[in-house]
Amino acid sequence: MIARILALFVSLSVLAGGAQAQRLAVDLSSSEVAISTGFSGAELLLFGATEGYGDIVVTVIGPHRDEVVRRKERLAGIWVNGASVTFKAAPAYYRIAASKPLREIASAEILDQLEIGVSGIELFTQSGRPASEIVEFRDALIRNKKSQRLYSEDVSDIKIVRDLLFRSTIPFPANVPTGDYEVTVYLFKNGKPVSQQTTSLPVRKVGLEARLYSFAHEQAPWYGVIAIVIALVAGWLAGVIFRRA
Amino acid sequence: MQIYLPIAEMSLNALLLLGLGGMVGFLSGMFGVGGGFLMTPLLIFIGVPPAVAVGTEANQVVAASVSGALAHWRRGNVDVRMGVVLLIGGFIGSTLGVWLFTFLRSIGQIDFVIAVSYVLFLGIIGVLMVVESTRSWFRARNPSAPRRKLHKHTWLHGLPFKMRFRRSQLYISALLPLGVGVFVGILAAIMGVGGGFVMVPAMIYLLGMPTSVVVGTSLFQIVFVTANVTFLQAVNNQTVDIVLALLLVVGSVVGAQIGARVGEKLRGEEVRVALGLIVLAVCARVAWTLVATPDDVFSLGRIAGHG
Repeated sequence: MIARILALFVSLSVLAGGAQAQRLAVDLSSSEVAISTGFSGAELLLFGATEGYGDIVVTVIGPHRDEVVRRKERLAGIWVNGASVTFKAAPAYYRIAASKPLREIASAEILDQLEIGVSGIELFTQSGRPASEIVEFRDALIRNKKSQRLYSEDVSDIKIVRDLLFRSTIPFPANVPTGDYEVTVYLFKNGKPVSQQTTSLPVRKVGLEARLYSFAHEQAPWYGVIAIVIALVAGWLAGVIFRRA
Repeated sequence: MQIYLPIAEMSLNALLLLGLGGMVGFLSGMFGVGGGFLMTPLLIFIGVPPAVAVGTEANQVVAASVSGALAHWRRGNVDVRMGVVLLIGGFIGSTLGVWLFTFLRSIGQIDFVIAVSYVLFLGIIGVLMVVESTRSWFRARNPSAPRRKLHKHTWLHGLPFKMRFRRSQLYISALLPLGVGVFVGILAAIMGVGGGFVMVPAMIYLLGMPTSVVVGTSLFQIVFVTANVTFLQAVNNQTVDIVLALLLVVGSVVGAQIGARVGEKLRGEEVRVALGLIVLAVCARVAWTLVATPDDVFSLGRIAGHG
């Protein structure tokens, strides 16, 4: 941590004497999100420095993967999953934070181009359903992701100190999907992006959790056998202990 | 104390899981039932994905049944021949069941099928329990009431492939226990239960086995069938969470011992009525999830095989 802050100051001093006006320095309080036994969510601190005034937008985009959105339908009084739409390569996690409301930072066209904002997330589907329905499913995907706290928009989160330093928090809930994340910081001046910096951020299981997960997926038959053996031994042992007592 | 469950991919309170195991273990010790049919819905209520709840619960039932099965084995309360026929049926049924489970999961209907199975079976078993114990409670007070015939001769006894089961003093078609085994195996795979609550009545009323060997023989079958389900769920769906299973096992073995001691003091019809009512309450709670209008009719799912 101290080393990181030192590094930041070094880059700041470089900035001060720098030739370019639109310099941007960014770092995270941790280089990865590690999911271990006690993991119940995490919060990372992003901090950085700019030269001169400007608006900061931070996006955090999780790994892309297919997501199925299912719609329940009422059948004889019971709710059953009916129609479904699969969105290809949807971001598993999406976070956007900004120093002020996005509309005040740049025009919608510029924001859409940069895929900034939850409404700008690209979601493709090969579903043959009518477009009006696809929109409904798309909205449902975003709504559900938001309620799982996997998609979030927070315009008031970024604090800029003296037009120079800024910081932002990135929350990861306990159900955060694992994979490679990309943290991008944009600096806007007068409605135009003048600088951006992308940092990759791996979110992964570590320790026992990681081993169990990869064991369960890569050597499933052995995992199954070991699960059974553990259960047999535990059950037998309990019987022995309590018979003695 | 939060603990991250690697397969369920969620964080839950370890004490809550131990407590849940303890509570269900207490009830199962007191009433002499497996408890899987209570644990799986409870796990789903606290947010464990239904597929993981079912796969993990099968693993927990292995642990919950093994010491009982061993104890009955030592006392000679297992009809091995009958147990093996039930087991062959159980292997066929549970293999079929896991295959069906994987398929239903891929089309997004597994949660629904699990819930419907629970409503159906808990409803039937709960009602039967309450009715039966109320009836025998009345009979105990009024001994002159007509008794039901214990053994009825039906078309079931005309089936081919007759086999002699010496320990149970039966000469019946092997198809009967085989069929019971298949049916219970399917239930074990889809509901994550041992299936004792279906098998025990079937053994008594359908096969006509003496009650002395019923529990031991059913436990014998349950250990192997739930082991098979655990293995197949682990291989096909990766839905067995060892960490979750261990926490539940620790809670339930302790709870079961306390429950068994309490149960010895209050035997009788009232206890069976109480269990029947608990079963009906869980049934009603599961039924509610099916009929209540969901907060959001849209839900997210992953393509099968991706967790």
